[in-house]
Amino acid sequence: MKVSTTKKLRESVAKAFMWMAMFIVFGFVISVIWTVFSKGMKAMNWDMVSKLPGGGFYIGKEGGFLNAIVGSLYIVGASTVLGLIISIPVVFFLNVYLKRDSKLAYTARMAFDVLFGVPSIVYGAFGFTIMIYFGLRTSLLGGIIVITLLIIPIFIRTMDEATRDFPRDILDASFSLGATRWETLRVVLRQIAPGIATATLLSIGRAIGDAASVMFTAGYTDSIPTSLSQPAATLPLAVFFQLQSPIPEVVDRAYAAALVLTVIVLILSISGRLITNRFSKNKI
Amino acid sequence: MIEAKELNVYIKGNHILKNVNVTLPGKQITCIIGPSGCGKSTLLRTLNRLIDTTEGVKLEGKVLVDGQDILSNDADVTDLRRKIGLVSQRPCPLPMSIFDNVAYGCRINKMFNKRRQLVYQVQKNLKAVGLYDEIRGRIRTPAARLSIGQQQRLCLARSLAVEPEYILADEATSALDPISAKTVEDLFVSLKGQYSIIMVTHTLRQALRIADHVVFMYLGEIIEQGPAEQVFHNPKEELTQKYLAGAFS
Amino acid sequence: MQKTRFIKDKTAQAIMFALTIISILMVMVMFVGLYLKSASVLEEHSLWKLLTSSEWRPMKGEFGFLPFIASTLWVTFVAILIALPISLLTAVFLTEYAKSYVKKFVFPALDILAALPSVIYGVWGVLVIVPWISKHVAPHFMDFSTGYTVLAAGIVLGVMVIPLLVSLFIEVFSSVSMELRECSLALGATRWQTTKKVLFRRTYPGIIAATVLAISRAMGETIAVLMVCGCVIGIPNGILEPCYPIPALIANNYGEMLSMPMYEAALMFAALILFFVVLVFNLISRIVLYRLEKRLGS
Repeated sequence: MKVSTTKKLRESVAKAFMWMAMFIVFGFVISVIWTVFSKGMKAMNWDMVSKLPGGGFYIGKEGGFLNAIVGSLYIVGASTVLGLIISIPVVFFLNVYLKRDSKLAYTARMAFDVLFGVPSIVYGAFGFTIMIYFGLRTSLLGGIIVITLLIIPIFIRTMDEATRDFPRDILDASFSLGATRWETLRVVLRQIAPGIATATLLSIGRAIGDAASVMFTAGYTDSIPTSLSQPAATLPLAVFFQLQSPIPEVVDRAYAAALVLTVIVLILSISGRLITNRFSKNKI
Repeated sequence: MIEAKELNVYIKGNHILKNVNVTLPGKQITCIIGPSGCGKSTLLRTLNRLIDTTEGVKLEGKVLVDGQDILSNDADVTDLRRKIGLVSQRPCPLPMSIFDNVAYGCRINKMFNKRRQLVYQVQKNLKAVGLYDEIRGRIRTPAARLSIGQQQRLCLARSLAVEPEYILADEATSALDPISAKTVEDLFVSLKGQYSIIMVTHTLRQALRIADHVVFMYLGEIIEQGPAEQVFHNPKEELTQKYLAGAFS
Repeated sequence: MQKTRFIKDKTAQAIMFALTIISILMVMVMFVGLYLKSASVLEEHSLWKLLTSSEWRPMKGEFGFLPFIASTLWVTFVAILIALPISLLTAVFLTEYAKSYVKKFVFPALDILAALPSVIYGVWGVLVIVPWISKHVAPHFMDFSTGYTVLAAGIVLGVMVIPLLVSLFIEVFSSVSMELRECSLALGATRWQTTKKVLFRRTYPGIIAATVLAISRAMGETIAVLMVCGCVIGIPNGILEPCYPIPALIANNYGEMLSMPMYEAALMFAALILFFVVLVFNLISRIVLYRLEKRLGS
């Protein structure tokens, strides 16, 4: 059976390559996580998350990176809220108010697709020009604005996908009972709540890890900003800048910051996945 | 001839086929009849081991095709599938031209060395299903553009091109319009001299029309089997009588 | 009572409409904004010269972007070269071969890769990839290399792009009905033959579109690449040379931007190039999908 054996040989070879690919992928994951955790755990101590860096962020040996933690929290928190306020109405509009095949919806989705794909550094550069135009300097406000711009397309994309599967019949049922579109929204809201939750977690994860956009706009500083016009430090930049320092204690801080950042992002990612899994069972 | 002995099939723990013992004679049309969900398709898919693709499947027992147990671990599954052709309910043209569709099986099994031989084989089988004249000049166009009836005949031609010994048909005419259904049915009848045909049919009337041999299944068990004459006119089991009388679909 | 409800509905609609329109306009606003900011450098130099010259002397007002464009292309090419086969094979394995328990391990692993921020990949690149290149790869080919090379950036970028490609490929492969595969298997084909001759044939527009999308994502990646590329201005002659992709250029020099107005305009022009390229690739990806799907008659 010569034919059979060539077929089978090719099949086995293909399978071997596939297993290799899988191992390579796993290898990368383990390598990255291992690097971050091993370096980070060594450098980690309570001071890191509770103190500010001691004097001149490239030079000061003591202290931690509380400035970055708080800065990131401020920026990400504010942008998430703003982002939700803007994105949820847009998603509703696209899916509930507009007809399924309306041209406006198509154009809007295409625009959001483009915005979704724009690299964060372009957002940073653009945000920078806006700030200069309005006479702002690198500040907390600048960072918030740019991050909001960055995550709006992510929100919209993710929530839109969740809402598209929304059964039309429920909408029709609501309308035929005499409800206005605005009132029907409550029904929709409840149904897609898990979608909103996942989108939020996804966007927070993206926002907190992004460095290129806040570089120009939020700047960097050793202290915790007390007003919107002061510059703010962020976790990714804390890693980036401190890694380049010639002083080992500072570099250690960078590793610890990397560890904290990674842990936060992993928790967000896992939570997102859990929510999707749990709620997809209950969906209609 | 195909024989199943003490065949038990479990899918994800559910006992789908229970102690199936059946003999399917060669060079005849055997119709497997029974209400929906009684395991007819599962039985069919076990015969060419397409059931392997389902998750959570467990097979017990023996299925002898021409004396060889196809359920054993060293059975050559791809070779078996070449010997046993399958036409499924919904026509499934491959994403290629009409010619390439029919030639597909020949190519993957490396049946011919010369292109001339391949072309001849494709033409021969397209003629056998009556498609050749209908698609004159269009043989290189995508098969997806054919009508449903034509697609189903194409699928049959495709299965014939690998020179099987058995042909399995899983409700092959139920998705077609009456005229195409009749054409396909007539095709099966004309082929029974060369191939052993095993058909699952949902409508009793079709079985009454063309079956030489009948197997009646209910809830995963074989209730009765035998020559068509005997089963239809002199059924031994009460369940068979009820079914034939139209008591349940 | 009726009237208030009506007003509420109409007001809400108006607000939502406005927000949607504003969001759509953002694309144009960004483009125009960046264009205006690059205006001064565009006035002084021809577009052609900007894109093809290698002379980069901001002090003298000479801005040739070719080294940066070439670097971006090199790095992206290496990244896709690494990521494409691995992603394709992984996706095929997951949709065609793997049992559920394998998937339970692989999907979380891919999720992790997708979620990690760029700077973390940068750290990994600096600690693992760069030394590896410097100690184990480069010595075969040259006397000395710091390890900060096109290859380093390509590897890091490639790993970052894998989860995107895999998830897109899986989406594309899953859209093909099980029946089609069974048809091929029933004729005696092996799983791999079915994959090659049926699955890929059916899905190659999707595969191309996904790759185009991944390319555009790779081109815009900043921090990770910045940390391992070497930041040396010049057209790279091989993958073991340092390089300076466009996003790295912008990120590194924003501080000095304000000292020279032309410099700022030049960097904004760089951002504009990126924006434009992403726009074009996005459109290409859509058109490819549309045209090829039409031709396959699906």
